[in-house]
Amino acid sequence: MKVNAEDIAQKAQEMRKSGFDYLVKITAIDYVQSITVIYFLRDIGGNRDDIIEADLDCKDAWVPTIIDIFPCADWYERELSEMFGIQIRGRAARRLLLEKWDGTEPPFRKSFAWNSEYKAEG
Amino acid sequence: MTKTTTKINIGPVHPSTHGVLRLVVDLDGDTIKNLEAHVGFLHRGVEKLVETRMYMQCPPYMEKLDYVAPLAYDEAYVATVEAALGIEVKERAQYIRVIELELQRIASHLFFIGALCNDMGQMFTMFMWVFEDRDRVLALLEQATGQRMFYVNMRLGGVARDLPPGFDEDCQSLLGHIEKRLEVYGKYLESNPVFMERMKGVGILTAEEAKGLGVTGPVLRASNVDYDVRKARPYYAYRELNFNSQVLGGGDNLARYKVRILEIKESIRLIRGALKRMPEGDALGAQVRLIGPAAKNRIASVSRELPRGEGMMYMIADPQRPYRLSVRSPCFINLFALEHMAKEQRFADLFSIMGSLDLVMACVDR
Repeated sequence: MKVNAEDIAQKAQEMRKSGFDYLVKITAIDYVQSITVIYFLRDIGGNRDDIIEADLDCKDAWVPTIIDIFPCADWYERELSEMFGIQIRGRAARRLLLEKWDGTEPPFRKSFAWNSEYKAEG
Repeated sequence: MTKTTTKINIGPVHPSTHGVLRLVVDLDGDTIKNLEAHVGFLHRGVEKLVETRMYMQCPPYMEKLDYVAPLAYDEAYVATVEAALGIEVKERAQYIRVIELELQRIASHLFFIGALCNDMGQMFTMFMWVFEDRDRVLALLEQATGQRMFYVNMRLGGVARDLPPGFDEDCQSLLGHIEKRLEVYGKYLESNPVFMERMKGVGILTAEEAKGLGVTGPVLRASNVDYDVRKARPYYAYRELNFNSQVLGGGDNLARYKVRILEIKESIRLIRGALKRMPEGDALGAQVRLIGPAAKNRIASVSRELPRGEGMMYMIADPQRPYRLSVRSPCFINLFALEHMAKEQRFADLFSIMGSLDLVMACVDR
């Protein structure tokens, strides 16, 4: 179900209360005009899956943190922040996978010039 | 006098980290107060890389995500492409896939037992034993697919090779052998006080914690949470075959080890059932063509019970290549849980806890 970015945490909290007790993954897709972020949630006992989806502005992409609701969101949020340049409000999301990398452009954005980063010498 | 903690750095290259992983541990005496995992040393940007490849150029990349169970990732990816292109898998191929996936699970769990014992300090006998048996499973998979480790045996709608003549007998004899060996392993390990002391009651994860930390697969089921994708969202011959998901209480290292032993036994049962009910007919999938049929579904999401836990592939499909492929790696989230599980444990137990999670670093970093 689609919500606004500012309502993600509230929606996650509601779903947590209605039995969705497991966060499967958080991921994002860069559609160039906008970025869609998706939260996959599951109710293990009731065997139900659902998603929370939000469209973000590419230039000012942010989502609220949900680590208080689902602790396992921690690493997913850090990954989201470094790979898609999405700001996680409410926490300091340090880099995770690309800790020592000195690039600034988020690599999973479509604008990332992956082919021109490293040139073979000679 | 103020209490001080000691910081210890482990890795990034360490025999017990199953790849390149750096752990920074804060110790108070022998007790772990905090643990921070530094990952990403094996990050190859696979999710980005596949955006530049045609659909059927990707399976070899997917296999390298988990080099202990490559076939499982191969199948998960090809199933996602099939979902996007709207392709049905042939009935015989569905059974062959289940047999190969379960053989892969046995090989992977055998590797787990060896690596776990190795992590606990030079129980190398076990490592050698399981490697011999795992090699027999790999030899059988080689017989079926033509490759020993990186199979790339899945094709759209089927498999690359049908099972060879004589596979049935060889498989049955291997399964009988593994069953006998499991008894030997059990006797050797579970009567060993060193093994039991470092397994029983160590690294306990309650059901609530396990769900909150998002752990998956055998780690989740060892904490008394019954979730197995093969049962919850059955696919292929799992719909028809009789099997149970293996769940244990306890949530400690021993439960995580035992769940995997039980899963090997269940896999043996599954393979026997699949061999018995194997339908006749054609199992071969489409030949690899770079330009294939255009995607019918823009979004494809497929979940699979990989040997290490639930793997999910979420694909946004373009006509000829993935526009975006998101891989949910079971090891990624199980390693995250280690940061919490290690707290207040003894430093010496850190590696047995980590071993019980069965991590593959390539799978974490993607």
